[in-house]
Amino acid sequence: MKGRRAALRRLYAVQGAWNYERMLGIGMGHAAEPLLDDLGRSDPERHREAVVRSAEFFNSHPYLAGLALGAAVRGEYDRVPGAQISRLRTALCSPLGALGDQLFWAGAVPATVAAAVAAVTLGAGPWSVVVLLIAFNLFRAWVAAWALRTGLESGTAVGAAIRQSWLPRAAHLAGIGAGLAIGIAVPLVADWFLSPFQRGGIIGALALAAGGVITARLAGPMYAAPRFALCALAAALVFRLVIR
Amino acid sequence: MSLEPGTWLLLLLWGVVVGVDLVSVPQALLARPIVVGSVSGLILGDIEAGLRVGVLLELFALDVLPVGASWYPDYGPATVGAAAYASAVPGWEASLGVACAIGLAVGLAGGASLQWLRHRVARDLHAHGDELAAGRSAAIRALQYRSISRDALRSAALTLLALGLAAAAAQWLSLDPRTENTLTLVAIGCGLAAVIGGALRSAGRGARMRWFVAGAAGTALLLGVA
Repeated sequence: MKGRRAALRRLYAVQGAWNYERMLGIGMGHAAEPLLDDLGRSDPERHREAVVRSAEFFNSHPYLAGLALGAAVRGEYDRVPGAQISRLRTALCSPLGALGDQLFWAGAVPATVAAAVAAVTLGAGPWSVVVLLIAFNLFRAWVAAWALRTGLESGTAVGAAIRQSWLPRAAHLAGIGAGLAIGIAVPLVADWFLSPFQRGGIIGALALAAGGVITARLAGPMYAAPRFALCALAAALVFRLVIR
Repeated sequence: MSLEPGTWLLLLLWGVVVGVDLVSVPQALLARPIVVGSVSGLILGDIEAGLRVGVLLELFALDVLPVGASWYPDYGPATVGAAAYASAVPGWEASLGVACAIGLAVGLAGGASLQWLRHRVARDLHAHGDELAAGRSAAIRALQYRSISRDALRSAALTLLALGLAAAAAQWLSLDPRTENTLTLVAIGCGLAAVIGGALRSAGRGARMRWFVAGAAGTALLLGVA
């Protein structure tokens, strides 16, 4: 099967046409195109049906979409019934979304970013940002290549391949790493920002931080950090202008 | 805020790159405020200002979990404007509060613009429903490229808004030093609240929470000793 490299490149834009109806569907169809080229030459009718299926509704974590893409394309070449391929894509949405969110959005991303933030406060400067980008993107590129390869090799057995892989364990560990990295970064950032100020200012800022955390816990989903901050900034400005 | 036309252009291009990176392509963490702030600082010739703004807005970004179809701010182009303001005002202690306000306001506008983009792509999808049902690859390609182009335009508009606000604030906003410092302290306090609140929400009551507490307590202890 040709087109693996092109498909891998296109997976970087799998959310390019994200929308509320098909979500990643169009991006998946775009990434599947080079992989389905051979099918177009051998069986044009099956190719046409495969193209339609490839762009149907799909939602998962974008970095793990290659697993579903590879499995679906393998199924097309193996002449698996179309309805079964559609069911496979649908069945993969939730696990790939949950695993990817745990591994990346709640794990690797906050862990590496918090580590970079901590490094900046310790004097590493912009180099910490360079290291962050290189380390994260090497890992992300490796995961994308692994996902597409595993999907193409496993076909409809991709569910078992995911269960037996490193993914579930890594997702758990990434969450712990994120907790630790953010925990280390918070006091360092507070010290980095607040050390030039006088005691009264430092106590005020820390009290505001505590108030924000309590407000977030009490308000639940109603709370939004940027809105809280903008309100606090506006209130502080009005207060300063009034007492001046 | 007097910037050379070349600097404006570079900042605009950088804003487009990071705006598109958030969702469309390549999702390589370029849109993280710490990255955007550093590179913006480099372009502006004031890395310190860029890093300070980037780290502060990163505290808010760490609170965001961009899961599925959830609504979240777009801090990328916003950080470009915030860094531009911070570099125009001498001393980060004086500039950080207003820079943060610019970043947060434009970030919220960016979140709203993402919703607009998603609905616009869906309308485009309807217009090409017959071609998609017929299995035309060209229709899929066209939808994909048009959507990314729209995201680039959205990012450019957002960056111009952020830079415009930064220029206006640098030109007309005249605050005394105590007010500037107060705003900076408020922004730092709110940033710390955002990152701690987000971490507690994500941590639950399991191992992650224990490691978060251990990291925070250990570092605080070391800082106290130092």
